[in-house]
Amino acid sequence: MSRLNLMLVDDEERFLATTAKLLTRQGHNVTTATSGQEALDKLEQHDVEVVILDVKMPGMDGLQALREIRIRFPLVSVIMLTGHGTVESAVDGMKLGAFDFVTKPCDIDDLLAKAEDAAGRRRDLEDKIRQARLLTAIRSPRELVREADGRPEK
Amino acid sequence: MVERKPRPPASPAYETLRRRILASMILAPSVPFALVLLVGTYNFNLATREATVARMVRIADDHRNAIQSFLDERLADLGFVAHVWTFDGLRQPETLTDVLQDLQRYAPAFVDLGVFDADGVLVAYEGPYALTGKVYSDADWFRQVIEHRTFVSDVFLGYRNSPHFVIALAEGDGADRWVLRATIDTHLFTEMVERVRSGRTGEAYVVNRNGVFQTVRRSGGELLDVAPERIGLDTPGRGVATSVARAADGSTFVWATTWLNDDNWLLVVRQEVGDAFWALHRATYVGLVILVIGGSGIVLLAVSLTNGLVRRLQRVDDEKQHLNQQLIVAGRLAEIGEMSAGFAHEINNPLQIIRSEQALIEAIVDDLGRQGQLPESEDVADLTDSVRQIRTQIDRCAAVTQGILKFARHTDPVVREVALADFFPEVVAMISSKAAVSGVKLTVNVTPDLPPVNADRAQLQQVVLNLLNNAFDAVEQQHGSEGGEVVLDAALSGDRIEVSIRDNGSGISAADIGKIFTPFFSTKPVGKGTGLGLSICFGIVESMGGTIRVSSNPQVGTTFTVSLPPAT
Repeated sequence: MSRLNLMLVDDEERFLATTAKLLTRQGHNVTTATSGQEALDKLEQHDVEVVILDVKMPGMDGLQALREIRIRFPLVSVIMLTGHGTVESAVDGMKLGAFDFVTKPCDIDDLLAKAEDAAGRRRDLEDKIRQARLLTAIRSPRELVREADGRPEK
Repeated sequence: MVERKPRPPASPAYETLRRRILASMILAPSVPFALVLLVGTYNFNLATREATVARMVRIADDHRNAIQSFLDERLADLGFVAHVWTFDGLRQPETLTDVLQDLQRYAPAFVDLGVFDADGVLVAYEGPYALTGKVYSDADWFRQVIEHRTFVSDVFLGYRNSPHFVIALAEGDGADRWVLRATIDTHLFTEMVERVRSGRTGEAYVVNRNGVFQTVRRSGGELLDVAPERIGLDTPGRGVATSVARAADGSTFVWATTWLNDDNWLLVVRQEVGDAFWALHRATYVGLVILVIGGSGIVLLAVSLTNGLVRRLQRVDDEKQHLNQQLIVAGRLAEIGEMSAGFAHEINNPLQIIRSEQALIEAIVDDLGRQGQLPESEDVADLTDSVRQIRTQIDRCAAVTQGILKFARHTDPVVREVALADFFPEVVAMISSKAAVSGVKLTVNVTPDLPPVNADRAQLQQVVLNLLNNAFDAVEQQHGSEGGEVVLDAALSGDRIEVSIRDNGSGISAADIGKIFTPFFSTKPVGKGTGLGLSICFGIVESMGGTIRVSSNPQVGTTFTVSLPPAT
């Protein structure tokens, strides 16, 4: 498994700590947050590929956080952590753009597999963007220069 | 059997109700009934009475006219004779004899004929008595006839000393005055008067102003006796006077009286009331009988109807109470169901933590092992084993909470294609531990390659679980904790998918088998179960376009078969 940049968001601190330890042992980069707001703040600072987000949290609700993440960090994939199987919040989550969901209590391997998939998608996306830019560069060097001045497309 | 609380003794509320209903059920028909009967009888009474009296009046009237005619005609006869033969002619004894004979031929009432001169001397006589030569100048009748020219006497004894009455007329004036007199046969007269008969006791007779019998009264009364009753004598006037009064012998009669013969005689027609109004009395008795029979009929009917009604009410109340109780039980169980979802949620959180801790422990142990840090020993082996076991058990807990949560949701059914190949194992997994605990041998035969069905997965689960649970209960009831067998078969039958759940449990009696799909029907003791399971299953299966049927042999076993159409 390649090295993943993950963020775990859950209001249970112990769970965060232990799971982070586990994932770090396996060689991944793990950031943690105990609330939706903290997650958004940390996303500004860290380069995260996949966020594993608990649906039910006090303060900013999981779905709300999901919406925010999709708007502000569209290249970040979100995996929902939900209490029951096929259920409204998971379905809503999918509708709002979550990549997948995992039921609590979650299986680490299952979680990682899904995170891999998510990360893979993002990498594919990034490749596509790079390719697209290359193509446009071949067509118009002027635009290349203009783009280089601004930030990469969000 | 559905348990019912023993019916409480008739409560005061029911008694009051019963009394009220009974009262109105008796009154309601009784009042019009009695009214009709009374009014009818009264009117009939009245009408009959009037009719009877009217009849008597008519009889009296007609009879009086007849008698009066008789008297008038006899006088007319005398007048004729007087004019035709004259005084001188009639003085001849042979003439008188002939005349009497002729008269008698056509009016046998004439007993004798007498011719009297102006001084009251009987100068000629034809008849059965030796009266010739007698002087009647002082006789009341003579004086009357001289004064009034015609005269009808009352009955009197006279010279012959036997009751008789005479009719006489006077002809001529002054010294030429003469009188023709005839005696009327009282026997014939009585016969004529008496001729009126109505009923058993109806009779007619004539009395004079002083109440002396002028004719013989059939029921007792000789000529010249004084009638013991004075009815009608004090009532003057034309027409017929009627009354109902007691006679001297105590019986009550209907009387009709009318004056004749110049108001000298009173015709009395009478009949005993019982006799006269017999139709009336009979009708009254019949009415009474009807009243009694009808009345008791009404009362009996009212009592039986009321009892039936009250019994019905009690039964309905009981059933309602029973249903209420079942509703409460159902509500409680539903609450428990709701709470269980909460429990499952609560448990998931710590479970999540435990899992992650276990994963960490396992990872560390594995790493240490790989790094050679863990000596090979029984303890280490046990440790490793234990760690892995924890994971297994966590998985088990997770399955339970997941099962509960899936089940406890009440979302609208989401109909999807359900692949039976993995549906059944999932359901069986939910219940296999219960089977093991109850000592029930559960066999599952699902033919491979079964087509999927269109259903809401949770609802389908609900049906299968319910049937399996029922099967376990039945089997436990029959076999205790050993020997119970439940078999689940799922196979294609024709173009339908048939799922049958067969058990060797206590079975369902023929009496109950028709009711098992009815809501709230349960053979379990009160408090166990809601009685809703099978009715809900029925509803679910129907909504999927399937059918559910049951066959059972008490003490032997039961088979439920659900037949579903495959998803097209």
